[in-house]
Amino acid sequence: MAQQLFFDDQQTFLQQLEQLLKNGTPSEQLDVRTPYHLSEVDSLLGQPPSKLPLFALGGALAGFGGGFLLAALTSLDWPVITGGKPIVAVPAFLLIGYLMTILIGSLASFAGFLILARLPQVDALLKEQDFDSRFIITIANEVAPCTTPN
Amino acid sequence: MQNTSSTEQIEQDVLAAMSRPSRCYLACIFFAGLVFLGGMALWSRQIALGMGVAGISHPVGWGVYITDFVFWVGIAHSGTLISAVLYIFRARFRTSFNRAAEAMTIFALMVAGLFPLIHLGRVWLAYFLFPYPNQRQLWVNFRSPLVWDVFAVSTYMLVSLVFFFVGLVPDLAIVARRRPGFVGKIYRIASLGWVGNSQQWRHYTKLYFFLAAFATPLVASVHSIVSWDFAVSIVPGWHTTIFAPYFVAGAILSGTAMVITLVIPMRRLLRLETYIPISHIESIAKILLLTSLIVGFAYVVEQGLAFYSGNLYEMEQFRFRALGDYRLLFWIMVSCNAILPLTLFVGRLRRNLAYLFILSLLVNVGMWLERFVIVVTSLARDFDPYAWGNYTPSLTEIGITAGSFGLFFLLFLLFIKILPVLSITELKER
Repeated sequence: MAQQLFFDDQQTFLQQLEQLLKNGTPSEQLDVRTPYHLSEVDSLLGQPPSKLPLFALGGALAGFGGGFLLAALTSLDWPVITGGKPIVAVPAFLLIGYLMTILIGSLASFAGFLILARLPQVDALLKEQDFDSRFIITIANEVAPCTTPN
Repeated sequence: MQNTSSTEQIEQDVLAAMSRPSRCYLACIFFAGLVFLGGMALWSRQIALGMGVAGISHPVGWGVYITDFVFWVGIAHSGTLISAVLYIFRARFRTSFNRAAEAMTIFALMVAGLFPLIHLGRVWLAYFLFPYPNQRQLWVNFRSPLVWDVFAVSTYMLVSLVFFFVGLVPDLAIVARRRPGFVGKIYRIASLGWVGNSQQWRHYTKLYFFLAAFATPLVASVHSIVSWDFAVSIVPGWHTTIFAPYFVAGAILSGTAMVITLVIPMRRLLRLETYIPISHIESIAKILLLTSLIVGFAYVVEQGLAFYSGNLYEMEQFRFRALGDYRLLFWIMVSCNAILPLTLFVGRLRRNLAYLFILSLLVNVGMWLERFVIVVTSLARDFDPYAWGNYTPSLTEIGITAGSFGLFFLLFLLFIKILPVLSITELKER
């Protein structure tokens, strides 16, 4: 049965988490919830670096290539000279590539976030789980806490 | 870092703004809605009767509608500056303004996006602007700055929307916890079931940083591209390399002024004095002063470039702007954008909210006039004296412009009752 520890204070919460891990509680058995991001929690739990940059990079490269190719291939499909510019006007088409880098890079990062953070979290929606204003440690299996929570 | 009692207090204070609306608020909504509907009625009339009801004609084919478009895109700019750029630089005062500024960006872009459609006349053909396979076997001309504009503004809108929504997610979960019943359920669904576990936060902070990094170049590029709508042409007064930085500085000046216009009354009406201290408003006032100096410098350089060029048409254009038929608008523009903001060198005035509010309104007026002067004077005095002609906006154009302000303020008023106006999570962290 899961056991939940609630903390009002950030310092006490971090000390308790550190103690639990020192006492041999596997980090996989801990569900840690905080009202805002604490990088100390990531270090204590030994979280690997986020894979989000890969989504951002992939999206940005796809956006750049896609944007430039969209402009170039559609111009080649109906080659009309306007303003004396070449059919494949590289400086102008780089601009489309640049804008699509930002657009697709941002959208891919957002999609990556949804995948990596497992959102929308249907379980939380159905069970109406709250985003608490306290610091919470949930221990999945029964593991005795080292100190009494406040 | 805070303990729970103070974080609870932050939640209560910020969410108190979303409580039952007062009569004054409802009256403001009614008035803004009425002005907006008036604008829509005039646009409908223009669609029914044709572009003849607008004052634009030969030689001034771009008038108030393009002025409004450039003005509203400019207003949108400082939202990204405040949320993305100041986030990257870790400026602490951003938490007082970022949510309102991001909302302002989106609403201003929504309003700006209407003006090319209004200006088109035959609005039902607007989809021609987007590249898609079609039976005509024609594609859009990617060498045209107008198509760059479509891509720039659409990108800006979508990236701003994602950035705004991502920033809201934890706060929506807080609202869901505090609102019982059906309304709470809607907020919970909108929060995507956010519970704030370590896995969610780890990817969230990474995403927020990446979105800020992606949005930052847009601050410089979107209004640069808008400026190229003019600068890529050969029209005297438009064809100049200074336009991109000049437009970007002007956009940040007008956007910062609009943030001040919105935040000062919002701070008072929603009793957010604790969270938006005067020192933070003073920091925004310094951005206003800095961008005003850049804009003032650009005004001088622009005149200098024209007369140093020795080009007759350029020289005549800039003489006409300062001394011709539109001189009154030109000098109001210079006074509001480059001279009056110099008073912000005085620290006491930077901290005087009533003064700042009035100044921000004057800068907004000045920046609208700047776009009008740029757009209209160049077309009114082109190369050929035979084709010269002045332009006066028609009542339809003035009404539609007023309607755009009605829409903007209506959306902002709805925002302050539907979503948290400050980032609760960031305030807790602070």
